[in-house]
Amino acid sequence: MPDTRIKEDFLGFGLGLRTDHFEHILQHQPDIDWFEVLSENYLVAGGKPRYYLEAIAEQYPVVMHGVSMSIGSTDPLDMDYLKALKTLSNDIQPKWISDHICWTSIHGINSHDLLPLPYTEETVNHVAERVRIVQDFLGRRMLLENVSSYLSYQDSTMDEWDFLSQVAESADCLILLDINNIYVSARNHHFNPLDYLKKIDPRRVQQFHLAGHSDFGDYVIDTHDHDVPPSVWTLYQAALERFGPVSTMIERDANIPEFPALYQELLEAKHIAELTLPENAELARSSFGTRSLDGLNKQISTHYVSQQPVRAKQ
Amino acid sequence: MSRLVEIQQQFMQYLLSDAADTQHGQIQSIMKANVSEQAGISANDRLQIYSNAYRIRLKETIETDHQLLGVYLGDHLFDKMAADYTRQYPSSNKSLRQFCDDLPNFLQQDDFFKQHPIIADLARFERRLLNAFDAADSPRTSFSDLQAISPEFWPNCCLRFHPSVQIFTCNSNAVEAWQALKVDATPPEPDYQSQRAWLLWRGESRLTEFASLTAAQHALLLGFIQGNNFADQCEQMLEWHNEQSAPLMVLQTLQAWFQQGLIRAVVSN
Ligand SMILES: [Fe+2]
Repeated sequence: MPDTRIKEDFLGFGLGLRTDHFEHILQHQPDIDWFEVLSENYLVAGGKPRYYLEAIAEQYPVVMHGVSMSIGSTDPLDMDYLKALKTLSNDIQPKWISDHICWTSIHGINSHDLLPLPYTEETVNHVAERVRIVQDFLGRRMLLENVSSYLSYQDSTMDEWDFLSQVAESADCLILLDINNIYVSARNHHFNPLDYLKKIDPRRVQQFHLAGHSDFGDYVIDTHDHDVPPSVWTLYQAALERFGPVSTMIERDANIPEFPALYQELLEAKHIAELTLPENAELARSSFGTRSLDGLNKQISTHYVSQQPVRAKQ
Repeated sequence: MSRLVEIQQQFMQYLLSDAADTQHGQIQSIMKANVSEQAGISANDRLQIYSNAYRIRLKETIETDHQLLGVYLGDHLFDKMAADYTRQYPSSNKSLRQFCDDLPNFLQQDDFFKQHPIIADLARFERRLLNAFDAADSPRTSFSDLQAISPEFWPNCCLRFHPSVQIFTCNSNAVEAWQALKVDATPPEPDYQSQRAWLLWRGESRLTEFASLTAAQHALLLGFIQGNNFADQCEQMLEWHNEQSAPLMVLQTLQAWFQQGLIRAVVSN
């Protein structure tokens, strides 16, 4: 069978690079496999942010993650922004570049939020066309990430997973699956998150996000200010079963703990991956945590890992 | 007009409008018509999640960028400022880093806040600190580079400054107030008696620093930034110094600037 993979190599287990941890990382050089950097934070000319970014990008693989491409907007694409992104990518040589399948601005006004799109043919064509332009400009495939959403449009004619799949197929781009966002949207819109995973083409899934959220009972908000909760770990396990080893990172944007706490949380992710995909050769290439796992620090729990494959429950 | 354009316009209008807007109810119901009713929470509440998030995110940006201005104003006035500014200056930038760039102008022009000019000065000073923090990097040169140039060429020498170097001037004691707030002390009463000038820069250790400038130092720095040479600047210093002491004052000040890492290059023509 020919190799049908579209995605690139498995990077292992990473963390979002946050200002609070700059010093710690340079001082202790933790054995994190890679870091994800928020592109918008480094579009400034220099100073501390750029200094640390460049120092860290010299030592670790990095990927760039953006929040304001506004790929779904009906405004023209912001070429100045894309140029700045390209310059930054020339400087730090990320493994890949991602943004969200959403819109953020219209008439030049930025909401600074990842606003949902109506899931229609019109939107699929519009977004796919723009992704193709961006990819031509950047000279590489980009990743689109699914967002958390709190409302559905009357206009939508398809499910979110079909919308994402159709855009990815039509634009020939890759997918960053945010496991927490799937969970959050599933709760807010009452769908089965496993249906979502089933419909996504594994050949296109290049990266996973894991994060925490705030659960208000009737609805859930994607706050990135908590530990990854059991519900998201369980869905992560199901995602591993479907997609195999996928570069995984934990996003934490508020209430950011000390670096060692995030490190421990990421060990949990690796541990779940090892239990879900035993003897996996790609997984074995990840060197993250080997120091801690070999040492005395093996305090991770197996609490959230189901003994049965999660998909068997369907 | 395509439905996608229409939905995005109506959504943005909804986000930008708040209860102070006379058309708020109408804008809200137009947007609500785009949203499906689903189990759990109402379409209205679903929309509200977005409008709350919009305001909270921008308010947090102001809080982060203007921490001590926030302390100076207190919660009540800060909330008023955040709401009024957000309403009048929606973000047009890709990064939140620039969202508050117009805050000093807003505070200077707003009928309420302009009654206390120190507030706009505080905001402007905090913006300058941020600019010094993430201005471009560049190598710095030392006093020995100047010494390596034969003194007969000195009169024609000009200076190029590190990109983080900035001058802040104001007619109030805003920086003194900022310094007091920084150490949790009570800021002095506003004082508008004299013009003050401050130098801001980011040093070798990447710390953002600032220092007050005398009138002579201010004129000296400004002249060099504008491209004047040594001879021009020594002459300008005659306003404050006599012919013997002027060159000495220039040289001593320069020596300090080199030490502080302010100077990127010495250019001799
Ligand atoms: Fe995410």
